[in-house]
Amino acid sequence: MSFIMVKHIRKTFKVPIKTEGIIGSLKSFFNRKYRYIKAIDDISFSIKKGEIVGYIGPNGAGKSTTIKILSGILNPDSGSVKINNLIPNVDRKKYVKNIGAVFGQKSQLWWDIPAIDSFNLLKDIYKIDDNEYKKTLNELIDLLNLKDILNIPVRLLSLGNRMKCEIAASLIHKPQVLFLDEPTIGLDAVSKKMVRDFIKKINRQNNVTVILTTHDMKDIESLCKRIILIGKGKILYDGSISKLKKKYDYLRKITIETKDKIDIKRNYIVKEKKFDNKIEFTIDIRQIEINEFIKLLSSKISIIDIDIESSNIDDLIIKLYEEFEI
Amino acid sequence: MKSYISYFKLKFITGLSYRAQAIAGIMTQFFFGFVYISVYVAFYESNHSSLPMELDEIVGYLWMSQSLFSLIYLWYKDSEIINMIKTGNIAYELLRPQNLYFMWCSKILGERLSRVTLRFLPVIIIAVLLPKPYNLDISITAFRLLLFIVSMIFSSILMTVLVCLYHVICLFTLDERGVVNIFMVIADILSGLVIPVPFFPKFMQNISNILPFRYISDFPFRLYVGNIDFNEIFISLGMQIIWILILFILGKTLTNKALKRVVVQGG
Amino acid sequence: MLYFKYFKIHTKCELEYKMSFIMSFISQFFVFFGYYFTIISLFSKFSNIKGFTVYEVLLTFGIIQFGFAFCETFFRGLDKFDDLIVYGNFDRLLLRPRNILMQAFCEQISLIKLSRLLQSIIVLIITLINIDITFSIDKIITLIFMLISSVLIFLSIFILTASYCFFTVKGLEVRNILTDGSKHMAQYPIGIFKKGFVTFFTFIIPFGFVNYYPLLYLLGKSDNKLLIISPLITVIYLIPSIAIFYKGIKKYSSTGS
Repeated sequence: MSFIMVKHIRKTFKVPIKTEGIIGSLKSFFNRKYRYIKAIDDISFSIKKGEIVGYIGPNGAGKSTTIKILSGILNPDSGSVKINNLIPNVDRKKYVKNIGAVFGQKSQLWWDIPAIDSFNLLKDIYKIDDNEYKKTLNELIDLLNLKDILNIPVRLLSLGNRMKCEIAASLIHKPQVLFLDEPTIGLDAVSKKMVRDFIKKINRQNNVTVILTTHDMKDIESLCKRIILIGKGKILYDGSISKLKKKYDYLRKITIETKDKIDIKRNYIVKEKKFDNKIEFTIDIRQIEINEFIKLLSSKISIIDIDIESSNIDDLIIKLYEEFEI
Repeated sequence: MKSYISYFKLKFITGLSYRAQAIAGIMTQFFFGFVYISVYVAFYESNHSSLPMELDEIVGYLWMSQSLFSLIYLWYKDSEIINMIKTGNIAYELLRPQNLYFMWCSKILGERLSRVTLRFLPVIIIAVLLPKPYNLDISITAFRLLLFIVSMIFSSILMTVLVCLYHVICLFTLDERGVVNIFMVIADILSGLVIPVPFFPKFMQNISNILPFRYISDFPFRLYVGNIDFNEIFISLGMQIIWILILFILGKTLTNKALKRVVVQGG
Repeated sequence: MLYFKYFKIHTKCELEYKMSFIMSFISQFFVFFGYYFTIISLFSKFSNIKGFTVYEVLLTFGIIQFGFAFCETFFRGLDKFDDLIVYGNFDRLLLRPRNILMQAFCEQISLIKLSRLLQSIIVLIITLINIDITFSIDKIITLIFMLISSVLIFLSIFILTASYCFFTVKGLEVRNILTDGSKHMAQYPIGIFKKGFVTFFTFIIPFGFVNYYPLLYLLGKSDNKLLIISPLITVIYLIPSIAIFYKGIKKYSSTGS
């Protein structure tokens, strides 16, 4: 049984058209025209309890609209959403108790005072009982190493520490689903790793289902087994990263440095570029394994230096975007 | 110079696109004019002793202040500028080749003029069509009209340098509340927008004659309705010019001072 | 109660900036003085307004200012509702398992505005000392009802204007019509105005029941005992306001803005 069920949701927005110049502005003042944007166009998926799913796509693809619908903030025009067998707009209060959310560019913490005050307020908002609250809070403090930062006004915290507190705040009521909208945005490499490790821990220990949107493919690589790629409001890919790699990430660039002349023509060599005493081959690794290819090369010429480009998920995603024209 | 004009134009055009806001503004100004006048009508109907202004003068004064309200009111903070100051993003503004003070002035004037463009005529037209005693009298000699227009041009410039000065002060206080708020409230009262200056107690009238605020609204409107002596008109026009110069120099110098501080802090 | 927790936390935040707090507190004093100044100045040139003396007008003024300042202090979240919508922070309220209207109250609570509340109480005390009324139980009850209804009517207006933000966020100036415009007139006994206004403030925005009809009883200008309880009519006004607010939430959930 799926924990999160999304069936055929659609959402269209009405946006006023702006015209240029003083006369244009005056004209549209009296007669405003609108255009309709399909933010989400028939999206369905289901997610099992405890999964971490990366929800990716370029800007304006419909990611945050989907997250808003899932969290019950927005109603879809048609289609249905169910989390833990609850429907968002039937019993909002019950539904949102299941949900924690962190929007990377918005804060739910009180800026001028220590985070612990915000946590105490959340305790009252979610009507968490004292003992339960203390237990959860201590768990979070241990897990996140929050001890020293909880009593400092939030505005004085570093971005990484602030994000830690944000995530902790969204977990204080022990939600079963956590939405993370760009949780690592603006963080330095160390803080990014810290946030990722933490998400992993939460997922493992409390079996929290996580839906993550991000532009940082390292987040995806280190956290998610499964990704859902959307573009122009439609799902373009839903499945594991390794499968995706096999399907799209089959080209490798191999650059060799040699003084010898070489002339090989094979089907699996997609491209060949020569400059100075270097040659760059682009090969299709579905047809030949890399070491086979190198063997072949070394049997013909003497190689001074060699560089094999590693697989890069960023490039993979760019390739995908190009392929789907999004 | 060109960049300030295009910035001014940008702000002007942006202002024109707020349709709902403009309609709401027209309604507000009309409603407020009507409300204020109703209070005075009730007062005048129950009293016949000698008063500093005739009822029709008051009515003209109020309609002028309502139709031009979005240009001349002094309780105005530009949230964009304020945020820039508070977040410290002001430092980036220094990278631009333009002068910050003039940028702000063109922004403020551009926004205020675009607002008044959409609101002025509708309010005036409705006010003229109203029945007595609520209506606006537009019979005015060409000469007085000319003087009124001149005084309004000065008034717009005076408003710009004054409002800009609030924002310059924010550069020092880093907070738009507090000092600036107190400044604005006092300006609001002394400008005659709360009640016309002739109704002030004598000592308050003397104070407001010296300070700049009254020359932004009270003076041009009394000039329009004819509740002012001929030589006082020219003295007041002179006061407008003097205050424009004082506030301009003050604002410009303070901006330079403040920006030096920003640079020092940044370094 | 959750509201008081919010109250505590807002106060804590405001006191983080002590200097600014003090300055704002003072500036609120000047704002209030502006209103007070208007009435005092006008009465220095005029002897009465339709038979009402300066203290009688100051009484209606004090009652209206009291209700308004009360709502501005304790329900300021509604007054600043457009910020919540514009910056997308309204989403956060929807994510929480609590009543939305109640959360909206809690969004902002301002101790600074307490300055105005205090001043309105001071004006009321000065007025009640100087005014020519012989107080009996029924008159005291009338006065208390007037104060309560003043709070209720501003609360309704705040909810209504907050609801407006769901439909367009450029709501500030319309809010001014409703709150400030009506407030300005209601500072005077509504009966001094022309008939159209009296009808408007009786049936559309029932300020008449806050400060005019009961005032007639209070000043001995009418003996109708019904006028004592007339302020309670404002309770009815609250119901459609709340209904419209919830309609606004529905609209928000379907358009996201």
